[in-house]
Amino acid sequence: MREKQIDKLKDYKYGFTTDIENIRAPKGLNKEVIEFISKAKKEPKWMLDWRMKAFERLKNLKEPNWQKPKYPKIDYQDIYYYSAPKSASEKPKSIDELDPKLLETYKKLGIPLQEQQRLNGIAVDAVFDSVSVATTFKDKLNEVGVIFCSISEAIQKHPELVKKYLGSVIPLTDHYFATLNSAVFTDGSFVYIPPGVKCPMELSTYFRINASQTGQFERTLIIADKESYVSYLEGCTAPMRDENQLHAANVELVALDNAEIKYSTVQNWYPGDENGKGGIYNFVTKRGLCKGTNSKISWTQVETGSAITWKYPSCILQGDNSIGEFYSIAITNNHQKADTGTKMIHLGKNTKSKIISKGISAGFSDMTYRGLVDISSKAKNSRNYTQCDSLLMGNKCGAHTVPYIKNKNPESNIAHEATTSKISEEQLYYCQQRGLNPEEAVGLIVNGFCKEVLQQLPMEFAVEAQKLVGISLEGSVG
Amino acid sequence: MKEQLKIDFEKLLETSNFSKNNIEIKRKNFDNFIEKGFPNRREENWKFSDLNQIISKNIKNLSFYNDLSKPNKIDQSIYIDSLEHNKLVFVNGRIEKIQFDYEEKNKIEILDDLVLEKSNNTNNSLLFLNNAFVSKYFKLIVKKNYSLQKPVVIYNITNKDLVSKSINLKVDIFLEENSSLKLIEFSNDKSTTNFININYNFDVQKNSILKNYKIDNNSNSNIKYCFNNISQDTNSVSEIFLLSSGSEFIKNEINCNLNGKYSSAFVNGVFNLNETKHHEIKTNINHIVENTKSYQLIKGILEDTSKAVYQGKIFVDSKAQKTDGYQLSKAILLNDNTEFNAKPELEIYADDVKCSHGSASGSLNEDSIFYLMSRGLNYKEAKKLLINGFLLDVVEKITDSEIKNLIKNIMSLKQ
Amino acid sequence: MLKIKNLKADIENRSILNNLNLEIKPGEVHAIMGPNGSGKSTLSNILSGKKGYDISGEILFENKNIFELETEERAHKGIFLAFQYPLEIPGVNTNIFLKTSLNAIRKARGEKELDAIEFLKLVKLKAKELKFDEEKLNRQLNVGFSGGEKKKNEILQMSILNPKLSILDETDSGLDIDALKTVADGVNSLRKKDNSFLIITHYQRLLDYIKPDYVHVLMNGKIIKSGGPELALELEKKGYENFN
Repeated sequence: MREKQIDKLKDYKYGFTTDIENIRAPKGLNKEVIEFISKAKKEPKWMLDWRMKAFERLKNLKEPNWQKPKYPKIDYQDIYYYSAPKSASEKPKSIDELDPKLLETYKKLGIPLQEQQRLNGIAVDAVFDSVSVATTFKDKLNEVGVIFCSISEAIQKHPELVKKYLGSVIPLTDHYFATLNSAVFTDGSFVYIPPGVKCPMELSTYFRINASQTGQFERTLIIADKESYVSYLEGCTAPMRDENQLHAANVELVALDNAEIKYSTVQNWYPGDENGKGGIYNFVTKRGLCKGTNSKISWTQVETGSAITWKYPSCILQGDNSIGEFYSIAITNNHQKADTGTKMIHLGKNTKSKIISKGISAGFSDMTYRGLVDISSKAKNSRNYTQCDSLLMGNKCGAHTVPYIKNKNPESNIAHEATTSKISEEQLYYCQQRGLNPEEAVGLIVNGFCKEVLQQLPMEFAVEAQKLVGISLEGSVG
Repeated sequence: MKEQLKIDFEKLLETSNFSKNNIEIKRKNFDNFIEKGFPNRREENWKFSDLNQIISKNIKNLSFYNDLSKPNKIDQSIYIDSLEHNKLVFVNGRIEKIQFDYEEKNKIEILDDLVLEKSNNTNNSLLFLNNAFVSKYFKLIVKKNYSLQKPVVIYNITNKDLVSKSINLKVDIFLEENSSLKLIEFSNDKSTTNFININYNFDVQKNSILKNYKIDNNSNSNIKYCFNNISQDTNSVSEIFLLSSGSEFIKNEINCNLNGKYSSAFVNGVFNLNETKHHEIKTNINHIVENTKSYQLIKGILEDTSKAVYQGKIFVDSKAQKTDGYQLSKAILLNDNTEFNAKPELEIYADDVKCSHGSASGSLNEDSIFYLMSRGLNYKEAKKLLINGFLLDVVEKITDSEIKNLIKNIMSLKQ
Repeated sequence: MLKIKNLKADIENRSILNNLNLEIKPGEVHAIMGPNGSGKSTLSNILSGKKGYDISGEILFENKNIFELETEERAHKGIFLAFQYPLEIPGVNTNIFLKTSLNAIRKARGEKELDAIEFLKLVKLKAKELKFDEEKLNRQLNVGFSGGEKKKNEILQMSILNPKLSILDETDSGLDIDALKTVADGVNSLRKKDNSFLIITHYQRLLDYIKPDYVHVLMNGKIIKSGGPELALELEKKGYENFN
């Protein structure tokens, strides 16, 4: 018999909170709070107007209810929409000026800023609660003209770019959570890669939810101008909480002619305890627009955290010859629920898309792949290939595959394949005979199952992700 | 339309001899239909085929009352003469002939005018409509240990007299233990713009075999919906084949519950569409217990501005270990403005299962055409040969060779 | 090294092994021969701790009862099973699998784990010895391997993990003569005074290349006769049916 000592803190090694005094807007969603946010961020009037437009629109929208995971009703008036670490109200000029407590937090999370700077060569735009507190490697990026800053800074310093592209992929009125985000978003990253520039380093941001009952509404906008390339990494961890926390980010990507954006995510937010108590609601809208010809957007995600994950990083393939890719690993254990997938909207000629989705469910969890492939009548000679594989561990969990496939073009081809399987007893026995314990064996086999997706991740993430895959399934065999 | 519905419903009750009990149930169903109306695209099930819109676009002044007092003439030239068979003939929704010449009389039982079930656990408004307006509810029982000598053909014939009517038929087929039945449903429509709503219930008991072939091949402007509910007990087999080709719109919905161990279901279908036709096949295969099997193969050829939809779902209960579920849909789009939509869905709660699905759509393989042309065929011939091969693959799945040949003949007649 | 006393094994109330006794001393090579269904594979599975059998009796490995040990714990102690049908594990690189496995065993034994460079050096050496195509080690474990390659891969794993007791479950089946020689060379090179082998086979031909110290005939779950290598030849001549 194998019995595991369950040590909650060990189970979720990123579960802790930091005592930093917060500046908060009062609870609730109303005009005044939005004005407060806009003012606190010293935004120009056009930005406030934009937020107000979204807020007006929100009044007529309802929360969607077609997704499989259901959640308790959210009281939108009981959420703080803005909180900022006090020490950041006077923005530090360098990392050394940061609140030592804050730095300590990052260290616990395994994100030592200075070290990362020195060792990894990654520029880090870290979002602590709602305000961006540190941006690094600016000089190096400045040299080639790459703009990498917080969205708040971009609104002030690069209004022409923000005005042009913000909401151009996810319209203000898209759906409830996207519109809510447009009204109350607090901070996030902004990236602009000028024409012909290959961004000299991987850009990275770490998200983290801290202050209690603070909904997080990040907004990220990445624009790759003609002939440019950027790889962007997003990683998330959150402290342990009992109350469910809402996270509704919007991420917009725009790729112009011959440009390429690679967006990778490792999401490991607090999933709730073994009984399904607590955990993050992760309702994110991520969408990329392949606006130019020969442009390419590639999403890679490893989703292991959150109580409920609900996201569909999508590609609108508008430019001729553009390419969209979606590589996903989603793992649910205990009482987690995930409804995730992608949309590939083929509008331009000779557009191609590829979807590789690997879903693993264990415990009492529920996993849904939901995807749309839509080839319009104008998208001549387009191609899609989709592969969705599910792995179940035990018969208390569920795995669902719900693809919507629409083909309106006789010169285009769509191919979709899906399988559902389990780890065979024989495979486990074989690995055990070679000296691996059951959890190591499962970790190994599951990593093999996910290989096609793990290969897509940049090196820095691949190792972490492989570990995560194993950790996420702990306790699911035996 | 609501006013018309009310008038027609009262007229139906006035002119028929329904029992008190039946009238009560009919009223309830009628009220439910009035409340829900024809399904539209806001319902997930009708996402790709908005029936409400299709009916209002195609049928002017739809009426729901159908005078069944006078017999209709049967156009006997429609009969399938290459095959000896038993007959049930409906003309314009009225039963005109029941003929079982090849069978032992005490092994078959036909009941008409059954009492409707009180509650039918449904949310399907078209079943409400059916229950409210159906005039006679039939049931065919095949007795224990009996295999029919010859197939049964249900002819659904409509003639020129029928215009803009809603026709509702309801037939139950009950296969007692160890029995078997080959059932061909053969449609022939010379009528215009009617809405035909058919509800079949199949109860397949232990060790029994149901083979069901649905042929909708002659071109017509009717809008049809056919709901098939199949319950299968231990070790039973069902084989369904759909030739979906003739009507302006038809949605065949199959709900199959594999309730007994070692039961299996096979659903094979062909869409062969041209002009503005819009057809759908929707399946729900529910694996309820362990060691059950399902296999689905659907193929489509789409010409002109036609549209085909396949929504296929495999559900596996947590008790249904060792399930084997397979599903494949393929379509060839021959023209601009054709459309193929698929939603192949898996919902699985057991881990020791083998389930897969595949879906592919696209153009004819130009390389194959080139290859055939290099062997001396012209473009048209090469195309036809490839299309035939593509569809033949499905027809070959039919296990009864006589019926397989019949269907091959019917399909090539059209080309 | 290994002592089996009165081993009984049932599966779903069907008796597979019935009072089996066997002792293997360090350095010895034992061959067990028997017809299909005689319980050969069951024996190898039980020795490496596969679940699903009702067992009684005693299995002592280095004088300790291993009944309660998990499969991997037995592997840590030095029991290796070369599978009759090696499993395919899609997506898992063979080298990574081997390294994980070797380090799990070393760790359990309190030995230093090998880093990537040390490991690759070891693998290169062993692969060369066994004439195993190194390129295959970068492929997914056993996926797309031929029958012979899978068996050779088992022998390679054996030589890298360096077990005390190696059980070869019909490793010779499905091998052509060249592959058979390679496998035998691999086994012979590992024969040392404290390494033992249990070779389970159907045919005598493997024993032409690996000379056993003892041969046992297994029928209906029991060893019905034991002897030297000559027993194998006798068996081959008479066939199992006439052996009694």
